[in-house]
Amino acid sequence: MAADKQTKLLAKQLFKLSLVNGVVSPEQVTGVLGWVEKYAHRRPVALLKAYHHRIALELAKSRAEVEHAGPISDATLRQIEAAMTKRYARPVTATARPNAKLLAGLRVRVGSDIYESSVAGQLATLSV
Amino acid sequence: MFSHLLILAEVTGHAADAAAAHGEAASGITKITQDFGISVPFILAQVLNFSVVAILLWKFAFKPVLATMDERQKRISDGLKYAEEMQAKLALTQSESAAIIKAAQLDAQKAIDEARKAAKEFGDKQQAEAITRAADLLTKAQQSIELEHKKMLNEARSEIARLVVKTTEQVLAKKLSDADRASYNEAATKELSAL
Repeated sequence: MAADKQTKLLAKQLFKLSLVNGVVSPEQVTGVLGWVEKYAHRRPVALLKAYHHRIALELAKSRAEVEHAGPISDATLRQIEAAMTKRYARPVTATARPNAKLLAGLRVRVGSDIYESSVAGQLATLSV
Repeated sequence: MFSHLLILAEVTGHAADAAAAHGEAASGITKITQDFGISVPFILAQVLNFSVVAILLWKFAFKPVLATMDERQKRISDGLKYAEEMQAKLALTQSESAAIIKAAQLDAQKAIDEARKAAKEFGDKQQAEAITRAADLLTKAQQSIELEHKKMLNEARSEIARLVVKTTEQVLAKKLSDADRASYNEAATKELSAL
């Protein structure tokens, strides 16, 4: 069920209420969900989907998914976290995920942004 | 004629004899008129008759005939004059016709020349356009061939690159050790941190 314009606007306002200092606050999210449960909206499912979509995007901006081939140390992850935190001016948490297709190197995904330095990526550039 | 002269001489001789016979009875002229039997009243009557006949003939015969002759003469002269005028007009008309025919011939020749010139220009133009079109077609064909050639080369290059990359990936997947990968990962981390 697609959300209409009014539902999207309400989801946007609820999302803004869920942020504390630009970061998603679990307490605020709990309060928002309680409000939604208490004051039934005419289209609650669409409202919750739109709200969830915004929260997920925001959380993805605070999470760096590091794909790697071969071993990677915690120090490397911390170094990546520090670089992304500095770049996005917000706390970013790095999580590692093995990907043998990279052959060697890293691919970091923060929200919809991707940073890659891998052998597979360079070979792909050569093949174009 | 000679007999008439003889008669006249004889009569004259008789007259001389009669005059001598009568003597002084009459003068010469009177004697002659008497000898010849000339009567003055008779002559006057003859003159009158002749005058009347002459006047009648003049009025009712000669005058109409002369008028008719004058009229015919006038008609003939008019006819001749008309014929001369007609001849002159005919000559003029012939000269005008000749001039018109000559002008028409000149116009026709001019029209033919212009038509030939236009036909030649049209032919030249068509030939030039055909040459240009052929050149365009040739150019387009050459461009199409070049484009096809480039496309084929690009496809071959891409296919070769794909095969090389795939082979390299397979080789690297087997040959790279964990130490190599860890070293590469650290270098990649430094590269990403420097962005």
